[in-house]
Amino acid sequence: MADEELTDKVRALIAENPVILFMKGTPTEPRCGFSLRTVQVLDRMGIEYGAVDVLPALQPLREATAEIADWQTFPQLYVNGELVGGCDIVEEMFASGELAGLLGVEQPEVPETPGSITDLPAQSPPLDIERG
Amino acid sequence: MPADLEEIRQMIETALPGAEARVIDETGTGDHLRAEVRAPQFEGLSRLDRHRLVKAAVRTRFEDGTIHALSIKILD
Repeated sequence: MADEELTDKVRALIAENPVILFMKGTPTEPRCGFSLRTVQVLDRMGIEYGAVDVLPALQPLREATAEIADWQTFPQLYVNGELVGGCDIVEEMFASGELAGLLGVEQPEVPETPGSITDLPAQSPPLDIERG
Repeated sequence: MPADLEEIRQMIETALPGAEARVIDETGTGDHLRAEVRAPQFEGLSRLDRHRLVKAAVRTRFEDGTIHALSIKILD
């Protein structure tokens, strides 16, 4: 059973912040690869967002978000009070341009997911492809 | 104990009759998995609801700590 006081606090945070990420660690020090990838997407969108580190109260927060949004894993991104999803969904919606639409911003120029080959610095030599 | 990928695959296919699932160990540690799933039950559902169905299928393995993370790819 979720702690009601905590659940109300989480509801208030979601209501008060147009874009809020519940994550493991902080945007500057993510403590999980999925949280890191989600932060990278949000940073590329060039928007301001709230972030909550769930690690200090992981299990109670799982219970709270299960009650609020039927979702128990982190990261969780909420936009305008609605759950968007975790890392997989955020990355998919970033790649398709839907996330930019939802956030009301221009799609960043290279519509690839972070960490893709197109993120190599421009001065990188072209990849040698061996043909056999 | 690392997750039994075959068991996880079967849990998804049992919960979603007609589904085809492929489960891989993403990090080599046996607890960060990736599931690629195609299922007739996804028809007409939002992304969130499709992910909820897959996660619900393997919830017991999350709860007992076998799986720490499950990345989900929904196939059309």
